[in-house]
Amino acid sequence: MGQPAVRAAGLVKHYESGNDAVEAVRGVDLEVQPGEIFGFLGPNGAGKSTTVRMLTTLLTITDGSAEVAGIDVAADPEGVRKRIGVALQEAGLDPRQTGRELLTLHGRLFGFDAATATARTEELLELVELEDAADRVTKGYSGGMQRRLDLAAALVHEPEVLFLDEPTTGLDPASRLTVWEELRRINGQGTTIFLTTQYLEEADQLCDRLAIIDDGRIVREGTPAALKAELSERRGGAEVSLDDVFLDATGRTRDRAAGEVQEVGA
Amino acid sequence: MSATLTLGARSLREALRQPDALFMTMFIPIFFLVVNTGQAAEIFPSETTDFLEGQGYGAFQLPITLLLAASFGMASLFLVEEIEGGYFDKLRAMPIPRYSMVLGRLVAEGAKGVVIASVIVLLALPFGIEIASGPLGFVLIVLLSTLWGVVYAGFMQLIALKTRSAAAVNSGGLIFFPLLFLTPNFVPRELLTRPMEIAATVNPVTYLMEALRSLILTDLDWGKILPGFAVVGAMGVIMLLLNVRMIKSYD
Repeated sequence: MGQPAVRAAGLVKHYESGNDAVEAVRGVDLEVQPGEIFGFLGPNGAGKSTTVRMLTTLLTITDGSAEVAGIDVAADPEGVRKRIGVALQEAGLDPRQTGRELLTLHGRLFGFDAATATARTEELLELVELEDAADRVTKGYSGGMQRRLDLAAALVHEPEVLFLDEPTTGLDPASRLTVWEELRRINGQGTTIFLTTQYLEEADQLCDRLAIIDDGRIVREGTPAALKAELSERRGGAEVSLDDVFLDATGRTRDRAAGEVQEVGA
Repeated sequence: MSATLTLGARSLREALRQPDALFMTMFIPIFFLVVNTGQAAEIFPSETTDFLEGQGYGAFQLPITLLLAASFGMASLFLVEEIEGGYFDKLRAMPIPRYSMVLGRLVAEGAKGVVIASVIVLLALPFGIEIASGPLGFVLIVLLSTLWGVVYAGFMQLIALKTRSAAAVNSGGLIFFPLLFLTPNFVPRELLTRPMEIAATVNPVTYLMEALRSLILTDLDWGKILPGFAVVGAMGVIMLLLNVRMIKSYD
């Protein structure tokens, strides 16, 4: 097996909060192989986004090490940034630019000349089906349109590793399916995808392998099928879903998990 | 450098899409020019007031108008909005030099500053205000006002990066008002009371104001002009270093 697309060893993040130190991530070890769709699941506040933000150079690493596309994140963040695409939890778009301007801007910032940036913009607009809205400022886009444009912006430079932090949260079912199709297509072209999600069905449908994080530590890791088989075996051959694996791994009950989902909705 | 210019062009586009903000940037300082001149012109008639160098009191007040206009940049508020909306993180995850992220918005502030300072001076000319230092003086007035606007916007950007709060940025903007009034804004420094003279002497804005005023009222007086540029240069270097440091350690 070749060099991992993502590798983390003993990854730790502490925040200072007044006189207290908050341990958001407490020693995450993981490896993602090139070409995989890797799902990173966990309850709210488990450390998913913090881990992604460290891997994408947006947060400093308190302890441990991480490599993305074979490059040390702490030692050469610039090298990592050239090889990754990032779409964070909230679709981060410039509200005063049009979709076309935003994609062209990103192309230029990745070093494309004007003609190449323009051509790539047109390709991406077609890919995410935003040609008709391309000349409207993004402030007026619907949630689904913003997500699709955010995804397109993350793909401008054809990254080796694409980090997506809850890419379908808040989308309607049709938009979610569109994003799934898009992710499969991107992955089919060889891009490694590191995806956090709260939707277990999404993880089951999309991911080759997944890890479940709880309270800052990885508590399960494997293929969805293997994780289900392991739990089924422990339960005497009973049929189990990924929801059951999640609840078993995080020690949550269905009621408590439902409460957390409700909190997100509020 | 290309990333700086690309981000600068974006910020300029952003500013042009908020023309109401540009209007207020011009309107408030001109309003103060008219009001201050109207209130004090009778006290300081040009015929008997030596420090006016034969011009009206409006010419003496014009530097305050220019400095005030240069201090009304919206860059830091747009930056806070970008931080809150998540786009700033998107930019941080891209291989853009950190100094370009600082300078991009400041380049746009500079371009806006040239236009605003030029328009204010040109608007003042039909009202009898002359630029005694000639065309070169006009260029230096616009340049100095613009550089001050860029430096000031940089310090506001620093507050935005540190606090990530629009309210804090707005409060930070109020810091300028005491600095503007702890200057020889109504009379020359030597006519101020002793405590005010000391305060004005340690206030860097005084040297900008005196440089601009000398360019308007007298021929090129490098003894007055150079301290103004030195102050803005030194503050610019400090501002840039602090901003780059802040953005590099931004978590």
